[in-house]
Amino acid sequence: MTNNEPILSAKQVSKTYGGHCVLDKVSFELHSGEVLCVVGENGAGKSTLIKILSGAIRPDSGIIGVHGGTYSALNPRESMQLGIATIYQEVELIDSLSVSDNIFLGNETLGRFPLVIDADSQNKKARQILDMLHIDIDEKMLVEDLSAAQKQNLQIVKAFHQEARVLIMDEPTSSLGVEETRSLMQLVHDLRGRGLGIIYISHYLEEIFEIGDTILILKDGEQVGLYPRADIDVNFVIHNMVGRDASMFFVRERVPIGADQIQVENISWKDAVKDVSFNVRAGEVFGIGGLVGSGRSELAASIFGMVRKDAGTIRISGQELSINNPKDAIKNKICFITEDRKKYALFDSMDVQDNIVIIHTEFGKSPLLKQKKENRLAKSMIDKLHIAVDNTEESVISLSGGNQQKAVLGRWLLNDATLFIFDEPTKGVDIGAKEEIYKLIIELARKGKSIIMISSDMPELLSMSDRIGIMREGRLIKILDNQRITEEDLIHDFIGI
Amino acid sequence: MKNGKLHKILHTQWFTLLVVIIVISVVTGMVNPRFFRLANIINIFEQISTLGVVASGAAIMIISGNFDISVGSIIGLSASVMAMMIKAGVPIWVVVPCGILIAIVCDAFVGFTSIVFHAPSFITSLASSSIFKGIALALTSATLQTIFGKFSFLGSARVFGVVPLMFILGIIVYLVVYFILKLTRFGRRVYAIGSNPQAAYLSGINVKGSKMLFFIINGTLVGIAATMLLSRIGAAGASTGAGIEMQAIGAVVIGGTPISGGKGGILGTFLGVLLMGLISNSLNMLQASPYLQELATGALIILAVAVSALSNRNGKASM
Ligand SMILES: Nc1ncnc2c1ncn2[C@@H]1O[C@H](COP(=O)(O)OP(=O)(O)OP(=O)(O)O)[C@@H](O)[C@H]1O
Ligand SMILES: [Mg+2]
Repeated sequence: MTNNEPILSAKQVSKTYGGHCVLDKVSFELHSGEVLCVVGENGAGKSTLIKILSGAIRPDSGIIGVHGGTYSALNPRESMQLGIATIYQEVELIDSLSVSDNIFLGNETLGRFPLVIDADSQNKKARQILDMLHIDIDEKMLVEDLSAAQKQNLQIVKAFHQEARVLIMDEPTSSLGVEETRSLMQLVHDLRGRGLGIIYISHYLEEIFEIGDTILILKDGEQVGLYPRADIDVNFVIHNMVGRDASMFFVRERVPIGADQIQVENISWKDAVKDVSFNVRAGEVFGIGGLVGSGRSELAASIFGMVRKDAGTIRISGQELSINNPKDAIKNKICFITEDRKKYALFDSMDVQDNIVIIHTEFGKSPLLKQKKENRLAKSMIDKLHIAVDNTEESVISLSGGNQQKAVLGRWLLNDATLFIFDEPTKGVDIGAKEEIYKLIIELARKGKSIIMISSDMPELLSMSDRIGIMREGRLIKILDNQRITEEDLIHDFIGI
Repeated sequence: MKNGKLHKILHTQWFTLLVVIIVISVVTGMVNPRFFRLANIINIFEQISTLGVVASGAAIMIISGNFDISVGSIIGLSASVMAMMIKAGVPIWVVVPCGILIAIVCDAFVGFTSIVFHAPSFITSLASSSIFKGIALALTSATLQTIFGKFSFLGSARVFGVVPLMFILGIIVYLVVYFILKLTRFGRRVYAIGSNPQAAYLSGINVKGSKMLFFIINGTLVGIAATMLLSRIGAAGASTGAGIEMQAIGAVVIGGTPISGGKGGILGTFLGVLLMGLISNSLNMLQASPYLQELATGALIILAVAVSALSNRNGKASM
């Protein structure tokens, strides 16, 4: 399928931030019908590279080649006009418009009257495109009613409709469930068959090896190499990106499990959580699996007082808690590390230190800030979690995605609690750092804490959990002892067939 | 990097401001040497004291993601009531607390409506502004309440015979607000709520309660400003203080606090206020038309917004 003329290339592209070289002379070529995967640790420069290609930032040096033309930098408009479509994590769709309106946004089909959109013919065409790509979304639905995965697919459809020749995706599966990831893989495969060139970034190496044709490995901004997939294996990739060996499947240490510590009884919230009860013992990791939208995060939100539950009780060591808001929950020694970092956790305009110590300070005794102590605590977390940051005063949004996640984790780890609820704890985190986070979770368990871990990452759920609760349509349908369960078993339970 | 710190300072907005302030002073002073006379400098500081107190409150508001554009009307109402009480012979030590209390109640009303109805405070303060103004007009029957000589101590006192008491009051307010914002947990909440209220809530911060307090603090400062203004002018009516909210917001923005909140501080605000006072004084000194002053204030704010937009550009694009 590939011919020799690349549709997109980069030659010796570099970028420096404040004296810190985050991308050092990176070069690659992308051909029609090729999937180029970019892998590397958190902060390796992957997002920076694609931002250069999409025109969001200017490289300091190097040449970008598109269709035979060469450019020293692109702006977002140029990039789009040259047929490069970039799908960021943040969805760029208009919520109040329908699916087909969004697809045709900017080049609407006009009817017989000037300036009047011909909705029927747009809907018809949208249907055709959706069918062609095997995407099962109603074209008349409003975007606000779509799931996260559907929105992501819609963005891809839109790019396809705009005749993009290159599709760039930065961690597209980090908020998708198993099934959705599979269908995204299928879609990428289809588009590749249609001659698009695709650049794909992911920390899930299974995905990389499933769809990648070539693999670009970055380490600390430097290009380790560009390899045809057939020439290398997973261990090679891990070794070269992390600089040491790490296993795809984490083998955790066992820690002693004590008596029942957390009792959750008959929790209900709206239609999302229906009469859920379970116990978690001291030192136990209780995994919760299920499809995206099965009510897992809502269950956590009800326990934490983020939403006002309609019914149910929560007990710690037999004592019933009265929790009306997150403040009550934290006082009662419950932590909740949410899944949506940007929306619920990051203080964009504040520095790394303030982001890490916020809860510690809020619940400290003194109404005055203790700058020195805050600085020390922040540094300890930066060391412990290997957060890649120059100094504690760096703005938190200048951190790479994975490092932001680690900063948020650090915030909660400073807090002494009995119950830790993690919702997708390793979202966007590289394989080496994942191990570190797993070890920290086990460390908490060893101290007798109870852990609830919601995860869509099957290997994570299977390797970490002592027991796994399965949620489907708001109900906790069963609790499995984590012995000899396979991914396939779990998926069957998730879907219910 | 050795010169990293220096580099940082050179690029902060307050440093730019300082340079602009010095340049304007030098230029005006060269054209009109009277500018550098002690009397004139004292005059500038006196003029900006009230604005400084209002701007300190506005800084807390804006950093926490709120807007209060009813400040001018609150000052009008509070000062009018105080003037009427003084005219009726009520002792000053009763009048001033009452005036401040009125401002607090008014601002609390703005905050309360914003919190309860989940409406942006910009809107509730816009609406409240007419209410307060209406009340003040009704109470005063739209006449100016003059109290010449009965409460001029605050406005005319000079410490050591040179430094205006008003200016010292202004500086105290800056220091208190600086202390609150930078050194207390409560100040941290101001930034956190302005940055991401949902994340603040999930971090255990009482967002509604804190917001109410922001308005109460602002109300207190507005009440103090009303007292200062009344004492200096010696008369008050419903339109006393009109437009000061815009000047205050302008000073905060010029001082480098983004309208989107979550960032900024009182040092920049101080310089912003100083720059505003300086420009109006310079234009006076240069005998420019008074209309030009209005124009200059507006132009300055737009310029400040442009500067912060441009300096944000690089940072933003790489989000
Ligand atoms: N605006 C900025 N200012 C300063 N440094 C920045 C800025 N943007 C990114 N960086 C730095 O550039 C480096 C590379 O970041 P980038 O986002 O490309 O990493 P990444 O490979 O995508 O990592 P992740 O897997 O965590 O998403 C990081 O060390 C980050 O701190
Ligand atoms: Mg990234």
